[in-house]
Amino acid sequence: MTDSKYFTTTKKGEIFELKAELNSDKKEKKKEAVKKVIASMTVGKDVSALFPDVVNCMQTDNLELKKLVYLYLMNYAKSQPDMAIMAVNTFVKDCEDPNPLIRALAVRTMGCIRVDKITEYLCEPLRKCLKDEDPYVRKTAAVCVAKLHDINAQLVEDQGFLDTLKDLISDSNPMVVANAVAALSEIAESHPNSNLLDLNPQTINKLLTALNECTEWGQIFILDCLANYTPRDDRESQSICERVTPRLSHANSAVVLSAVKVLMKFMEMLPKDLDYYGTLLKKLAPPLVTLLSAEPELQYVALRNINLIVQRRPEILKHEMKVFFVKYNDPIYVKLEKLDIMIRLASQANIAQVLAELKEYATEVDVDFVRKAVRAIGRCAIKVEQSAERCVSTLLDLIQTKVNYVVQEAIVVIKDIFRKYPNKYESVIATLCENLDSLDEPEARAAMIWIVGEYAERIDNADELLESFLEGFHDESTQVQLQLLTAIVKLFLKKPTETQELVQQVLSLATQDSDNPDLRDRGYIYWRLLSTDPVAAKEVVLAEKPLISEETDLIEPTLLEELICHIGTLASVYHKPPSAFVEGSRGVQHKRITGSVGSGESESPDTGSAAGASEAPPAVIPSQGDLLGDLLNLDLTPPATTGPPPPTSGMQMGAMDLLGGGLDSLLGGDLGGSSAMGAGFGAPTPAAMPASFNAPVSGGLDDLFDLGGGVGIPTGVNSAPKTVWLPAMKAKGLEITGTFARRAGIIQMEMTLNNKAMSIMTDFAIQFNRNSFGLAPAGPLQILTPLGPNQSIEVALPLSTVGPVMKMEPLNNLQVAVKNNIDVFYFSCQYPINMLFVEDGKMERQVFLATWKDIPNDNESQFQIKDCHLNSDAASNKLQGSNIFTIAKRTVEGQDMLYQSMKLSNGIWVLAELRVQAGNPNYTVSLKCRAPEVSQCVFQTYEAALKN
Amino acid sequence: MIGQIFILSSKGDRLIYKDFRGGAGSDDVGSFYEKVTALTGDQPPVVMTHKDLNFIHVRQGGLYWVATTTHDSSPFTVVEFLNRLTALVKDYCGSLSEKLVQMNFALIYELLDEVLDYGYVQTTSSDVLKNFIQTEAVSSRPFSLFDLSNVGLFGADTQQSKVAPSSAAARPIQSSREQGGKSEIFVDVIERMSVVIGSNGVVMKADVEGEIKVKCYMSSCSEMRIGLNEEFSIGKSQLRGYGAAVRVDECSFHEAVRLDEFDSQRVLRLCPSPGEQTVMQYQLSNDLPSAPPFRLFPTVERDSGGRLLMYMKLRCDLPPKTAAINVCATVPVPKGSVR
Repeated sequence: MTDSKYFTTTKKGEIFELKAELNSDKKEKKKEAVKKVIASMTVGKDVSALFPDVVNCMQTDNLELKKLVYLYLMNYAKSQPDMAIMAVNTFVKDCEDPNPLIRALAVRTMGCIRVDKITEYLCEPLRKCLKDEDPYVRKTAAVCVAKLHDINAQLVEDQGFLDTLKDLISDSNPMVVANAVAALSEIAESHPNSNLLDLNPQTINKLLTALNECTEWGQIFILDCLANYTPRDDRESQSICERVTPRLSHANSAVVLSAVKVLMKFMEMLPKDLDYYGTLLKKLAPPLVTLLSAEPELQYVALRNINLIVQRRPEILKHEMKVFFVKYNDPIYVKLEKLDIMIRLASQANIAQVLAELKEYATEVDVDFVRKAVRAIGRCAIKVEQSAERCVSTLLDLIQTKVNYVVQEAIVVIKDIFRKYPNKYESVIATLCENLDSLDEPEARAAMIWIVGEYAERIDNADELLESFLEGFHDESTQVQLQLLTAIVKLFLKKPTETQELVQQVLSLATQDSDNPDLRDRGYIYWRLLSTDPVAAKEVVLAEKPLISEETDLIEPTLLEELICHIGTLASVYHKPPSAFVEGSRGVQHKRITGSVGSGESESPDTGSAAGASEAPPAVIPSQGDLLGDLLNLDLTPPATTGPPPPTSGMQMGAMDLLGGGLDSLLGGDLGGSSAMGAGFGAPTPAAMPASFNAPVSGGLDDLFDLGGGVGIPTGVNSAPKTVWLPAMKAKGLEITGTFARRAGIIQMEMTLNNKAMSIMTDFAIQFNRNSFGLAPAGPLQILTPLGPNQSIEVALPLSTVGPVMKMEPLNNLQVAVKNNIDVFYFSCQYPINMLFVEDGKMERQVFLATWKDIPNDNESQFQIKDCHLNSDAASNKLQGSNIFTIAKRTVEGQDMLYQSMKLSNGIWVLAELRVQAGNPNYTVSLKCRAPEVSQCVFQTYEAALKN
Repeated sequence: MIGQIFILSSKGDRLIYKDFRGGAGSDDVGSFYEKVTALTGDQPPVVMTHKDLNFIHVRQGGLYWVATTTHDSSPFTVVEFLNRLTALVKDYCGSLSEKLVQMNFALIYELLDEVLDYGYVQTTSSDVLKNFIQTEAVSSRPFSLFDLSNVGLFGADTQQSKVAPSSAAARPIQSSREQGGKSEIFVDVIERMSVVIGSNGVVMKADVEGEIKVKCYMSSCSEMRIGLNEEFSIGKSQLRGYGAAVRVDECSFHEAVRLDEFDSQRVLRLCPSPGEQTVMQYQLSNDLPSAPPFRLFPTVERDSGGRLLMYMKLRCDLPPKTAAINVCATVPVPKGSVR
């Protein structure tokens, strides 16, 4: 007769039958009945109705039956608290039983009955059991304190159980010590500030002694507890390490890992030049390697941990590459983890071995694994620079196999290699292009398109290749569509003449025929960019991309630091901080651990950072692919600085904002945009850039400039200090600072060119955009010698005012293009308008009066100049220095009125009345001019001149 | 700290369920089974998380052995514990199967109660446990179909009549008491050999994993000595005797084995505790000292219809008295292939 029949009872009235059996006189029958009850309980049937009957069976001297009854009680006491009281007497009695097994059983079960009323009765028996003569009872009682604490923490404290528990740390039986440590550790977790587990050298010594005698499981509790201790100095830390090291050869992997955790942590304290440090490092490798011959489940957990250790201390396992080679019968998840570690360990010394192995994997049959292997080759290339060439040739070999998924994966990784080593391996592009037709996966197609776009100038038939992709544009996945759009725009910017049609086609496909908002947005952005300012477009789209590095897949250092403290725990398997998956209440404890780690690490300057990071949400490490995708997006390219003139850039910004907000509202506006684009395309081709660089603004903007232009002849004015116009980081190392000055009637632009790049700069040239007053260089930029790295040169460029005129906003804005052998850079600056005040700006008195009257009052503007402490004569003198001439002076009621005139280089007269009242630091200026737009600038000149 | 332990059949039925710390959700078992069955091939199954609960499981004997925890506890501890638990259940019930677990649920609950207290592992040593366990194991009938599938790990059924019958070791360790204390001890040497053979029949990789297991049915056993071949050598450095006849790359021993005489005389001394234990494990990879016991002669032909025809001839070079068990040849083919 077997017990399995209990699981098959589904008859009606079953409960009733069981009841009868439970109340039977025969012991055997009773036992059978309780077994049936428990079988029902296991499969989830509700047998709580039998509670009183089962409890009745409790009073028995048969240990087997007693255990079964207790099992039942633990399960149902909570739902029947009142009934559970019935059992209390038996429990209390059992706690006094001469048989230690029964005493322990009673105290263990009582702790599992999570009913408040019972806990009151539990205290006395528990106190006795904690002092029991039998260690089996004591160790059970120690755990029971933790159980009781979970139900009623206050009670445990009031009853003084915690002190008894602390005493148990010094118990003679190691099993009791281990359980006491475990219980105290758990209780301490919920009291982060209490000094429950007072780890001092004495207790540590006791624990280390118990460590040698404990069972394997007890050793784990003790080691985990040791890991929370912070040694006072490196000597103590070394002596603990020495006593823990023997655990590394234990057969139980959990013991080994707990020991590794302690050692990894205490190692931080040891000086690196210590001999012992090196010895310890050597001792860590073998146990980690041994873990790899365990069951696959353990292997996986071990590999996840090794992954962390390798990132933190690659030296431990650097000679053990071979053990991470994949065995053909490893489960796939173990294989993938091994691959990851192989790459992390790859170095110049072992790369040949690794590559040979990876190439082998790439010919296996498991597709997923093969793909990962090919990716791994790419990651090796990026990690070990010396091996890049070998990796590329390995990849080419793999491409020659013509196995579809291998080829595709290889192309994806070659793209990454191009990103890391630009202009080095482009010779392979031809081979890649041969395989164009076989690509059917989006990622591979996108990668290929990226390569074609990026190197369009070196691929003769790039336009044909891209066009072939364009045919099925709408059937492609988004990834490919986006890439195709970008690639064609790149191609257009590189070969504008042949590809206009293509770019227009793709833009209209992306913006008009697609319902994917991402694609439409990107399409519109390109479209606007190209139509308003192809130069800026070039700068944005063809901007230099940052090199990718292998760090992209590393765990962020603060997180790694934290995870190292959690080696051998779930955190180390998930590679997430515990706070990410353990319920909130545990956060406190976890912070304490990291804090102590921080302070344990004497050289680390910011101990707070680890703790701070622990509260941050889990850091998401972008995979290489993601990062690459992002970089290819426009968003991350540095914004084009000063290229387009402000009105245009304002509009452009607006357009972008609108695109970000409501796209549909823009669809109408777009039609206008497209005609503007046509106009833009016709004239300026980016290749001929400097010559036509002011062209982009011409389209439809004519009505914006007026200001009728007279021409004047300038004289001499003081200058402001130089300011930075073009920072080096925006101009590939060329920094320009400058100012304007008027010397002897000639306007000069005084600049300092500073070469902060590593290479020599030559072939400087300068050009201005049209501006409000027709400023233009009067001659070429006089830089005859090449500008070496870290050299600077001062130049003064005389300016004329006969250049083309266009009204700027603000009026005195000047847009400048500077070219050198490297590139063309754009910046804008503002010149003080008094540069333009000519020396013969003194008006005849009568003319002044007539003119003053003649100019309509609407054109008059009044400004206040505050905090000026000059008297009227001093002011007059000062202003004269800026070619502002005083014609007459009147004093009315203690207030001086100065009448002044000035003339701009284009013949515009400005008349002014300056009122100065003695004792009042506030001046009032009234300006009258036929072109009132200049008033604001003139006022600024007044303010600058008077306060100077 | 382990929260709950449950054992599920391969179909997801609860065989054993125990909550150690209270406060377990109502359908944790269900959500585990849902998760584990939804896994795809390349997702690691070992550790899974569901809300605040973490599941760690191993699969043995066709059953899921699952532990849950809400803490950031050590997966090594849990996996190691689960492996020990399966070994214990195997020792106590004779072997592992859904039926046996079902039949012995009371015994397994009793075991669980002793090995875990409030989620803390107490002991997994059968030596200690024999003092506490009261329930007698119930074993299935000695010769069932089930036993045939498990043929021969202990006392493989071969022609040699000296060797004990196959079922000899597939019985609970405790039942020895009622059978009148028949003291028996079984020593088995199990070697698992994996060989990768290229399409041209050449051995590409070969490795051997071996272990010496002892299964002891004596409640208290005095010292036992196992002598190995004196030419036995470890690693390449320390060759003994004339050739490299008996050589392993690495080996490890059970913690209870005393190795005082191992270096000089290759003798292992131990006092086995009741139940099964692996006394020694060893590995050997790549250059095997002798040819593998099997040879494979593959021929691959491409026929006119685009099909590939593979013929494989396996030749066993073992002496006629010896037999190999569980021989399997795997031919990896791409996923799309059809027969």
